[in-house]
Amino acid sequence: MSMGDMGPNWREVFINYAVTARDAIGVAHTAMRSDDNQESDYLTEITYTRLLHRWNLPDAQANLWFVGGAGELRGTDREADRHWSRMAVTPGVQVDYETTRVYLSALHRLYRASGINHDYTAVRAGFAFWEPHYEQTQPWLIVEARSMQDLSDRPEITPMLRLINRNYFIEAGANNFGQPRFNFMLIF
Amino acid sequence: MRKLLLALLLASGGTVQAAQTITAHVNGMVCAFCAQGIEKKARALPQTEDVYVNLKQKIVAVQVREGQSLSGEALTSLVKDAGYDVVQIETVEGTTAAIRARMEGE
Repeated sequence: MSMGDMGPNWREVFINYAVTARDAIGVAHTAMRSDDNQESDYLTEITYTRLLHRWNLPDAQANLWFVGGAGELRGTDREADRHWSRMAVTPGVQVDYETTRVYLSALHRLYRASGINHDYTAVRAGFAFWEPHYEQTQPWLIVEARSMQDLSDRPEITPMLRLINRNYFIEAGANNFGQPRFNFMLIF
Repeated sequence: MRKLLLALLLASGGTVQAAQTITAHVNGMVCAFCAQGIEKKARALPQTEDVYVNLKQKIVAVQVREGQSLSGEALTSLVKDAGYDVVQIETVEGTTAAIRARMEGE
């Protein structure tokens, strides 16, 4: 599975390989930038994702996930005109609930290195425009609110149009600062 | 013509097998990503002729190749391995195309 999140302050690409139905390992690269462009950090990490619990309900599904990684965080402090590199860890949890028409999720993930805290919190809510047909592209409206510690003082809110078709989705929208967002997921 | 068809039928063994399809009602299968994982595994079975997925009804139907057999337990196990729960399973005579026509015509 490959996924990408392309925004102005946060750009992330990762590839996961499911070793079991509940466990996946992967690699990820994340570029983080502060609102004032004074700080840019780049994280390359090995990731591990674990489905801690799934509730299979008659008309819904809910999940509790652990997501985490460890890797190298490289940064540039433009004010001080210096580069640095540190070991980073990124443990987090996600909960989600989904029916064929409604999607809700919340993610909190720590992004920590010595002297660095870019903790990330995101909540998402969305709905499908109509009852989905498996063999057709399904349009959803997803609204995401997220915050990135020490990168932006203001929460970013982004309504996005999501198109799902079997093994991929794409999302596109513009955030509350008028900046574009583009996300994708592809399952091999 | 009717005699010719009868002769061909007798030459082929004298029996006509109706298509057999196993249908599973799957709890938790609410999104295309969930369903495509199950569909992919089901299509990979050597006994599978065709697979039909209905997200609204939470149904996975697997049409079995002629001359082959597939147990309900095998399909239940496949769905469970993919992370979902089968709450009802049945074997019906007919193709996935017929099931699709019936469900989508409802």
